[in-house]
Amino acid sequence: MAGLLPRADVLIAIMGAPHTGDLVTSAFRLSQALLARGARVHLWTCGHATGLTRQALGPAKPRNVVDWAREYPTTAALAAELLAAFPTTLHWYACRFCSQERGADAHIPGIRLRAPFKFTEHLDAADKAFFLGVC
Amino acid sequence: MAPQPTTGRRLLVVERAYRGSVETQFADVLYLARELNRQQDGLDILLRGLAVTFATADDDAPARSLRIGRIDLDTLPDPRASLRTLLAEGAGVWAEEADLTGLGTAPDRLLPGVRRARPDSRPDWSAYQGVHFL
Repeated sequence: MAGLLPRADVLIAIMGAPHTGDLVTSAFRLSQALLARGARVHLWTCGHATGLTRQALGPAKPRNVVDWAREYPTTAALAAELLAAFPTTLHWYACRFCSQERGADAHIPGIRLRAPFKFTEHLDAADKAFFLGVC
Repeated sequence: MAPQPTTGRRLLVVERAYRGSVETQFADVLYLARELNRQQDGLDILLRGLAVTFATADDDAPARSLRIGRIDLDTLPDPRASLRTLLAEGAGVWAEEADLTGLGTAPDRLLPGVRRARPDSRPDWSAYQGVHFL
């Protein structure tokens, strides 16, 4: 079954929640650095991190009341940008169970829902795996 | 009898720092503090723990921008700039001296206007209308 997944040099599993630390920022930085060097990257989100690519976030955060004209991209928009910039070397997966449990299973295009009991296939498809945080 | 407040102000205690960057951007804890300061017409902030680093001078701070895909995200949180704004808008800012020392912050590294909270000079919690942990 692992053969159905593309190969990756690195799998980055974002298990920890956003808004608790700089873990999500680290995931974006690490992904960008790897992809810019030509590496093949898989991202997997679990727990509250599945909300990063929730479609309902839209392209921009709510307005900043003290800088009304400025737009601030959502994590969903940043994920879409990363996928558009690296269309063949980045694949982004979200845990179906965690997404559904949190009402976050309507993701932006490009995010593939995967059952948690398939996770071993993702580990097998990557040469190395990083786990960031805990669910 | 419980001590009575001697000021109408409230004290905000911030201990947790760095609660996200790409997902948070402008909407960090100091953004909330700024809005509370506006609504309450003045308040005080006590920084403790890692949050005291918000009050350190930023002469050599790294550039706050991040490349994601083909864009430069330059709207990451800037707690030092936010503190300067809060001070300019009348908020009082204290930083716990023991935590500054613990982090190896040199005595001259505080942002102008920030006061050091130490045993002989610190905000008196019982004097405030309320003390809120953010």
